[in-house]
Amino acid sequence: MTEEHEHPIENLAAYALGALEGPEQVRVESHVATCTTCASLLEQYRGVVGALPFGLDPVQPPAEAWAAIRAEAARRRPRGPGPASIKGLPSWRRVMWPVVAALAASLLVWNVVLQLELTRRPPGPEVEALARRPGRLVILTGTGAPGASGRLLVAIDGHHGHLATAGLRPLPAERTYQLWFVRPGAPTVTGGAFRVDSRGRAWATITVPVPLDEARVVAITEEPALGSATPTGSYLLEAKSWR
Amino acid sequence: MQLGEEAGLELLYARYGGLIFTLALRIVGDPELAREVLQDTFLRCWDGSESFDSARGRVPWWLMGIARNRAIDLLRSRPHQARLREREQLAVGIGEPAQPDATASFPMRHAMVSALQGLPAAQRQAIEMAYYGGFTQTEIARELGTPLGTIKSRTREAMDRLRTLLWPLIEPQRGGVGRP
Repeated sequence: MTEEHEHPIENLAAYALGALEGPEQVRVESHVATCTTCASLLEQYRGVVGALPFGLDPVQPPAEAWAAIRAEAARRRPRGPGPASIKGLPSWRRVMWPVVAALAASLLVWNVVLQLELTRRPPGPEVEALARRPGRLVILTGTGAPGASGRLLVAIDGHHGHLATAGLRPLPAERTYQLWFVRPGAPTVTGGAFRVDSRGRAWATITVPVPLDEARVVAITEEPALGSATPTGSYLLEAKSWR
Repeated sequence: MQLGEEAGLELLYARYGGLIFTLALRIVGDPELAREVLQDTFLRCWDGSESFDSARGRVPWWLMGIARNRAIDLLRSRPHQARLREREQLAVGIGEPAQPDATASFPMRHAMVSALQGLPAAQRQAIEMAYYGGFTQTEIARELGTPLGTIKSRTREAMDRLRTLLWPLIEPQRGGVGRP
């Protein structure tokens, strides 16, 4: 029996897609239970499958959908034992545990407090003080939007961050703001699109798609609402150095 | 921080409801059925009908897995014409412009759309028939009149290509709760 036959490589992708059945499905399941190599590959395939819906045009659910879910949820009682441990929680609570933890750790501290700070005054030393935690702080200044400013707080893992801006004008529905990482000798990549509220403020969770030190400039531009693959507008906010 | 039970469910809905509805609508092709899938997905989550295993992936993957399975079940329970619609829809292709997004999901969507557009049409078809149509490899081969081995190869090659392109975006957030 060859290595290829020992490892069901040919069927792993189909299994991740839910497109196997019968003996082939059973064989994959029993194999990955003991083969770390195939289990690792399957995990990556599952990650890809989980991201497939991002390739679809987003469609908003009907406005009344949440009301119906909430009403039905209120009628039902969550099952399962009490909150002795994560493992013992009902499924939605187990899901919510990391959500709550993440929110408590990041949103509660960064979002709420920083948002309050931004409400009171433009980002300044007080806001910077909030960023005195492991990670990076990028201060964006309003090169193309006088009076506007922004703070990009990059988490210690280098991949996640929060962006707070103030002083940008609210945009019509067909326009959006977009964050960019400009790299020398490499394509400019986006960290996400965001809109500001009626007072010109924004708080957004963003992705840092490349190591921050690979970027020469971090910038924000105004783009069509669908977003752009590369910047088409002039830099409204810009940073060329960070710590 | 204290989150009430309903607030917790609402948070999940706010973050993933749109994506789940989009997925369900793509599969069942009917807004009312998609709404049914959406509601069923969150209520299964709520009442513990589905078990979340953090070792098997992130929360959105889990939620979308529930939604996808429920939608496929609905699709299979309908007349054969419903599944034929999937083949017709595939002829139209993918990669329509995305809608505005104010979240960090934009890079992933952009990357996924680009990656899918970069696949040969036959490979993309194999992926979409499996995931959105609920076809098994054997059924895809039969529907297309193509040898099973060819379908398997197309599927694997397509998934390997997507994995190569997208895993660097997916992997850093593995095990987290945010968006891919």
